[in-house]
Amino acid sequence: MNRLGFLVGIAFGFVIAAAGLHEYDTIHDMLLLRDIHVYLILASGVGTAMPLLWLLQRRRVKTPLGGTIELYNGKVERKNVFGGMTFGTGWAVAGTCPAPAIAMATGGGFLAVFVIAGLGVGLWLRDAVTGGDGIKNITKLFKRAPLQPGTVSET
Amino acid sequence: MDFLPDRLPWFIAGPSMGLLVVALYALGNKHLGVSGGYVQVMTWVRRPKMAEMWRVWFIAGLILGSLVLSLLRGGQSIGLEYGTLSRFLPLGALIPVLFFGGMLMGFGARWAGGCTSGHGLSGTASRSPASFVATISFLGTAIAITFAIHFATGGQL
Repeated sequence: MNRLGFLVGIAFGFVIAAAGLHEYDTIHDMLLLRDIHVYLILASGVGTAMPLLWLLQRRRVKTPLGGTIELYNGKVERKNVFGGMTFGTGWAVAGTCPAPAIAMATGGGFLAVFVIAGLGVGLWLRDAVTGGDGIKNITKLFKRAPLQPGTVSET
Repeated sequence: MDFLPDRLPWFIAGPSMGLLVVALYALGNKHLGVSGGYVQVMTWVRRPKMAEMWRVWFIAGLILGSLVLSLLRGGQSIGLEYGTLSRFLPLGALIPVLFFGGMLMGFGARWAGGCTSGHGLSGTASRSPASFVATISFLGTAIAITFAIHFATGGQL
């Protein structure tokens, strides 16, 4: 599994950098609706993966490394909306997101290091505030010490 | 080398990324997401035994893969460029702005349960309702905020 993760990571990083997704102006122009390049990438990526994943799921494929296939299927919660709005604000400000920020740094964009540092602090802060399990846990913060961060990973 | 165009065309980049999502599911029954990888790297640093190691390797791969591409393009020199943003903001303001933007993204991604990759790409491809909602939320917000920045700066950004 580690080897698979490594290989998929290599290919993913390569494609993101090759497509120019690590450049501020690519994302800024996308979000200003000046350039449909990124939307076409996202749409064709989802369009490729969705039917194939559906087929794998329908056939209940046994994967070599992880048992019978089970697709992520999250129920809609408020956190998806509010977390999304917070993420979207940061995305608009920095003009990059978690994977492209890495590609920006390896492409010589030193300032991406500050985005990555901010990402780390933000991810940690969310866990520190809630114990890593959604908005309802904020109230628990006042009752007991925060849980150890980084134990829950949804996606 | 010149065999790589400035920007890989979308009809190659998009489907390749889609196929990587499928490969990770078909071979390992795992969901591709980058912010989850960040979390696991941080977990690994503090408590190596608690980390989901394949996600740590995934991030290592991202670093290597994007570095290889950069080297194939002739190895960009290290600089303090940040596109239009670095022409608009002086360095002293740019650094805190970027850190703050990163922080919002990190906080929001953890809150929403994923980012542009985990929800936007692989979550929607998995037909997860939460991912459609999160994607609409962050994309809509990002477009609105970007337009606000655009008009607030008199069209300079």
